[in-house]
Amino acid sequence: MAASVLDYDYSNFFYHANDDPFAILEPFNEWVKAALPQGYYLFSQAMSTPPEGEIRLTEGLHGRQLRLINLSSYNYLGLSTRPEVIAAAKDALDKYGLGAAGSPILSGMMDVHVRLEEDLARFKKKEAAIVFPTGYSTNVGLIAGLMRPGDWIIEDQSAHASIVDGAILSKANVRFFRHNNPADLERKLKQATGKKLVAIEGVYSMDGDVCPLPELVAVAKKYGARIMLDEAHSSFVYGPTGRGVAELYGLENEVDIHVGTFSKALGGQGGYVAGSRNLYNYLKGFARSRVFSCALSPVVAAGVRKSLEIAQREPALRDTLWANVRHIRSRLEEAGVDVGDSTSQIVPIMVRNDRRVFEICHRLLGAGVYLQPVIYPAVAKHRSRFRVSISAAHTREQLDEGAAILIRVLREERILV
Amino acid sequence: MNTSNQSGLVQYRFRDAIGGFFEFPTENARALLPTDLQPIEPHHGSSVLSVMAFDFHDSPVGEYGELILSILVAPRVDTGQIWPRSAFWPFRLGTTTPESREHAIERWHLPHYMKDISIAWDRGDGHVTINATDRGEPIVDMTITEHEWSNVEHPYQAFMYDDDGAYTSTIVMAGRFSENEEERGGIVIHSQAMTDLLSNWEVDVTPFRELWMRDGMQTFHPLRHLAAFAPR
Repeated sequence: MAASVLDYDYSNFFYHANDDPFAILEPFNEWVKAALPQGYYLFSQAMSTPPEGEIRLTEGLHGRQLRLINLSSYNYLGLSTRPEVIAAAKDALDKYGLGAAGSPILSGMMDVHVRLEEDLARFKKKEAAIVFPTGYSTNVGLIAGLMRPGDWIIEDQSAHASIVDGAILSKANVRFFRHNNPADLERKLKQATGKKLVAIEGVYSMDGDVCPLPELVAVAKKYGARIMLDEAHSSFVYGPTGRGVAELYGLENEVDIHVGTFSKALGGQGGYVAGSRNLYNYLKGFARSRVFSCALSPVVAAGVRKSLEIAQREPALRDTLWANVRHIRSRLEEAGVDVGDSTSQIVPIMVRNDRRVFEICHRLLGAGVYLQPVIYPAVAKHRSRFRVSISAAHTREQLDEGAAILIRVLREERILV
Repeated sequence: MNTSNQSGLVQYRFRDAIGGFFEFPTENARALLPTDLQPIEPHHGSSVLSVMAFDFHDSPVGEYGELILSILVAPRVDTGQIWPRSAFWPFRLGTTTPESREHAIERWHLPHYMKDISIAWDRGDGHVTINATDRGEPIVDMTITEHEWSNVEHPYQAFMYDDDGAYTSTIVMAGRFSENEEERGGIVIHSQAMTDLLSNWEVDVTPFRELWMRDGMQTFHPLRHLAAFAPR
C-alpha cells in the first residue's frame, strides 16, 4: 500500500531545503486538499453562538448547521456570557470606543487598564501585575524581555508554544526536561551555568495534569534558578481562593513569576504577569510583544475586570465547576473511558489511534458533540485524543448527554470495550 | 538474486529494521552537518540523532547486518516528487560484511566505519534489543519496543556526500510497521571508534520515537546528483 494522506501531518511540511521558500506551498496545499475531507475539516469550524454548553456551528465538510453539546471551549467559570460582564463591556464600549488605539507605553493605556492591573496585583497578592493583549504575547514578552543570549531556559517538554517561542526569541540556551519530571529537570540544570529560568505550567493544556510544584521548586532553588509558573489553565480554578496551583501548594512566594490568562476561566482575552514592582517596571520597558502591540481593548479589559470581581466574589463558581468535573469524570470512568493522567477540568479522552481519531470525531459531530481531534504534533504519536473542557456553566443535562454520546460512539468504534 | 531492476531501483529485504530517535543539542548537529543541510528540531535547540539497525536476509550482497547513525534533516523535493516522511543524513554506517560495506560506499556514497561489526538481535516479548560490537568491543546497545502493527509503504529521503560529490535518494520502506512515542526504549552509546563523533553530544538515553519494521523491503531509488552541498 502506498503512503496515505494520514501518514503525513503538519510536522512533515515545516522544514524543507529547497532554494525557493515557496517550494513548500504546492506540496502542502496538495496535502491539505486531500486531508480536509479525511478529517482535517474538523478544525476551525465556525461557531455562530457564544461558547456556552450548547452551541450552533457551521459544519466544515458540507456546510450543515448543527446544534451541539459544547465540550471544547474553555470558559471554565462560565463568565464569558454573564450579564454583568457583558454590561461592563458594553459600558466600556460606550465610554472608550472599540480599541485602545495605541501601544500601552504610548497612548494606549487607559484608566480601565490601570484598574485591571491593580485588581490583579491585589488578587495575586503581588506588588504589581502587567497586562498583555493575549496569553501568547504574555509569555513571549516576558521570556524574551527577561532572558538574553548565553542565559539558560529549562522548560517542561509539554510547555505551551508561547513559552517555547519566547525562549527562541530570547536567544538564550534552551533545554527541555521530561514532562513533570524533577529528576530530569535536575539533570538539565546541572549542565547550565549563569542565569537560569525554569518555565513550567500549573495545569498542562493537553493532558490536564498538575505540575509537581514542590519538587520542581526544590530542584530549581537548589541550582539558583528563577521559576516562572504559567497558570493559564489553573488561575481562578485552583487553590482555596482561586490563586492557582501555587496557592494550592502554599508556594506563592517561592515562585518568582506568576503568569495567567483571561481567556480561560475569565472568559475574556489577554494575559498578565504578576510579581515584584521591579519586574513590572522592567517588563514595561523590555517586553516587546507588549510594547509593540496595541493595548488590550478597553472593552475586553472592562469585561475581564468584572469577571475577576465575580470570580473572587463567588467561590461557589469554582465549587460548581469542580462538581461538574467530578460528575462527568465519574460518568466516563464508570464506563471505562481512558482519561489519561488528568486530575483537572481538562479531561483528555484518550483514543490512542492517530487515524481513527478523525473518523470518531466525525461521528461525534454527527451525534451532537463538539470536540476536535488532538493529534501529533500537538501530542505524541499514538496519544491522540479529544480534549474535554468542563465549565461551571455546563448543566448536568448537557454533561450527561455529552458523556452518553461519547461513551456510545467510543463503544461502537471499539475504542471502549 | 539480482535486485537492481531496469528502473534503477535496488531492493534489500530484511527480517527486522529498528530505529530510535534521540534528541541532542542542535549546536552539535550543526557542527557536523554539511552547510546546506538543516537539522530538524522537535524542540527548539534539540536535533535528532537516528540510530537504525537492519537485519537483511536478501540483497545484492547477500545476508548482512547494518547499523546506521544519522541526523534528521529538512527534505529537498522538486515539484511533482514524492514528499518524504523524513529525511536523513547518514554520517556513519557499520556493516557486518566487507561486501555490503563496499557496495554501499560504491553505489550509495555512504560513509562507513571500515571494520566488520557484529550485531546481535535479542527478540523479546514486545521489544527487540540489539548489541553492536566490533570484535567484542561494544558500540551501541539499543532497545526498541512495539506498538500497533500495520502494513505501510513509507517514502524517506537520504543525503550523502563524499569526495566525488553530493547526492540524494528516495528510499521506500515497505512492510509491517510499528511506531510509538511511549519512551520505553533506551540506548547505551559506548565510547568506541564508530561512535567517536558522539562522545560529547549529550544524546538523550531514551528515544522520543521508536520505529520497528518487520518482514520488509527497503528500496533505493537512483541517486540524484546535487549541485550545492558542502561539508562544514
